[in-house]
Amino acid sequence: MDLSLLKSSRSRTLVWIMLVIGAVFVVRLFYLQVIRHTYYETEAMKEHVSKFTLPAQRGTIYAQDGADDTVPLVMNEASYTVYADPRYVTDEAKTADKLRQIAGGNIIDNFEVGLKNKSLQYTVLAKQISQKQADLITAAHLPGVGMKEQDRRVYPEGQLAANLLGYVNNDGEGQYGLEQALNTQLAGKPGLLKAVTDVHGIPLSVGDNVQESAQNGQNIALTIDRNIQSFAEQALKAGLDKVKAKHGSVMVMDPSNGAVLAMANTPSYDPSKYYQVEDYGAFQNGAVSDPYEAGSIIKTSTMAAGMDEGAVQKDSTYRNTGSVNVEDTVIKNVLQNVNGTRTMTDVFKYSLNTGVVYILQQMGGGTINKQGREKLYNYFTDHFLFGRKTGIEQAGEPAGEIIPPDAAEGNNVRYANMTFGQGMQTTMIQTIAAYAAMINGGIYYKPHLIEGAVNDDGTITKNAPQAVKNNVIKPEISQQLKGMMHTARAESIPGKDKAGYFVAGKTGTAQTIDPKTGQYTDKNAIGSYLGFGGNETPRYVIMVKVTDAQVGATGFAGSDAAAPIFADISNWLLDYLKVKPMH
Amino acid sequence: MSSTTTLTINAPQSGRTSQAWRRNQNTVRHQLTSGLGPISHTVLIALMLCILGLIYLTQITKTSTYGYQINDLKTKQDKLASEKRDLEVESARLQALERVKNSDVAKAMTGPAQTDYAN
Repeated sequence: MDLSLLKSSRSRTLVWIMLVIGAVFVVRLFYLQVIRHTYYETEAMKEHVSKFTLPAQRGTIYAQDGADDTVPLVMNEASYTVYADPRYVTDEAKTADKLRQIAGGNIIDNFEVGLKNKSLQYTVLAKQISQKQADLITAAHLPGVGMKEQDRRVYPEGQLAANLLGYVNNDGEGQYGLEQALNTQLAGKPGLLKAVTDVHGIPLSVGDNVQESAQNGQNIALTIDRNIQSFAEQALKAGLDKVKAKHGSVMVMDPSNGAVLAMANTPSYDPSKYYQVEDYGAFQNGAVSDPYEAGSIIKTSTMAAGMDEGAVQKDSTYRNTGSVNVEDTVIKNVLQNVNGTRTMTDVFKYSLNTGVVYILQQMGGGTINKQGREKLYNYFTDHFLFGRKTGIEQAGEPAGEIIPPDAAEGNNVRYANMTFGQGMQTTMIQTIAAYAAMINGGIYYKPHLIEGAVNDDGTITKNAPQAVKNNVIKPEISQQLKGMMHTARAESIPGKDKAGYFVAGKTGTAQTIDPKTGQYTDKNAIGSYLGFGGNETPRYVIMVKVTDAQVGATGFAGSDAAAPIFADISNWLLDYLKVKPMH
Repeated sequence: MSSTTTLTINAPQSGRTSQAWRRNQNTVRHQLTSGLGPISHTVLIALMLCILGLIYLTQITKTSTYGYQINDLKTKQDKLASEKRDLEVESARLQALERVKNSDVAKAMTGPAQTDYAN
């Protein structure tokens, strides 16, 4: 090189320009590769790395099938949503025909409109199609048509126990009943796969792939026996039809542990077609979610409280005059032809309101006063646990309402009404759980629907029954109470039960408040029956509620509408449970 | 090619020993002067790097192929699991209470005339 060239000013300038350009490149590269390293690395990873959600399978729900078996009530099935990118659909008519042929009733209304709209990139053509249909669509090789898989709940037993099960919506969330109450437990936890993918989005095993496995939802076994549930639903429907009623509930419980064996409601619905239901009331499990004034079945609780408190004994008598004045209110019996000296068993037999008001008077030392009100309130809330949620595995359980004796509304008239189940609100589950405690010797078991978790090998890890309260009433009082109710039933409605068994119970007919007048009315009175059956040991408790019975005589919805349903189920259960007769 | 180098031994300075060394002063060693030049080295290194790169690419490609195989197997596994679930659902439907009750076998059954209980 001729050194003289370097000495010229133009050459020097060129060198400097080159150096400056080089420096600019170096600085820029330093900025991009060192200072912005993290940003560009993240951007590059976004291009190459995809995140996949690994769906968790929702838990299966099983029911008991007799003493030793379980059967699935709710399962999962793969279903597909068919969609199209209309820009890539080459033959709309052929695609539409093929889809109609394969998807049939699962096709979306007016799907052709979306299919022909080339400005769209995504349009749904069919929903909830089966695996077989999906295979046929794949085999048809329809350009521009794709499918997205998702699980759906299926119900092999159809509508059985629909109200207590609830359903799962399109977002995979449990709604109503058990599905909502145990949504977290049933849903499980989705997993995550973060992986380098090719241009088609297929994960490649290069780079630092991250995989967190999905945790499937827990499989659970219910205490519900499908045979008892099925019979209870049939008996309820038949019983409601007889009295032209449309709303009712039945519950069957094992009094020895609080396990619910059946929980039926009318109206019901098909949980696989929940989106077609127009009356949202059908979703409710009325046995748990509807607090109501239970009426005379609460007389059992008043009697238990009075006897346990020592205010009255089994053989106590009182003078029944057909009515009793409580301050400015006259409380009457429904039956007006049984006046005279009556026993405590007669109070059950003739459902005497005056008899339970007498018990409240005795709890107050002879008159209805604050002492008596407080004692009754204590038994209702602290012994029988009315006015608080039971914690059963159902969504939307209310606490009910028991007005305290020191509240402005907790006056003598209210408490006199409360002795026969008016002026207070309880749910069926509260009432039956308390009743079970009264007849099992005095142990209040938490009412429950879950038998336990189903393991992968099909075995069940059972939950132990939970005794919430002991000494609800004394065992000897429990024994006397059972005898009194048995006698009352046997004498008031003889011949309804299978011979040789110990069956007992109490009717209830609760007036409802007319929204127009604000006064109690016999229109649409709620009829209830609460009783038990077995031999020396009670094997089941049954509670029946009929909301809108169209019975002839007023005040007899309990005996005319609810009691026959109780008898049907009770007699069937004695056989089904293979209860040995006493003699 | 070889060259001769005369070594100078730093022998002890004592008289007799110094004499003995001097007699054997034509001790020599041979040094190889031929070798690879800098260009050859560069080419060799470049070749080695290429080979290493090829090996790396082969391995990466093989790993990617495993990814596709794994994906295929996963798809098959999912499909089989799905079929298994479908069969379980079908089995449950066939054993549903309503279906059993309406079966010919169930319809032909009669209730027991009398029930005896063992003590």
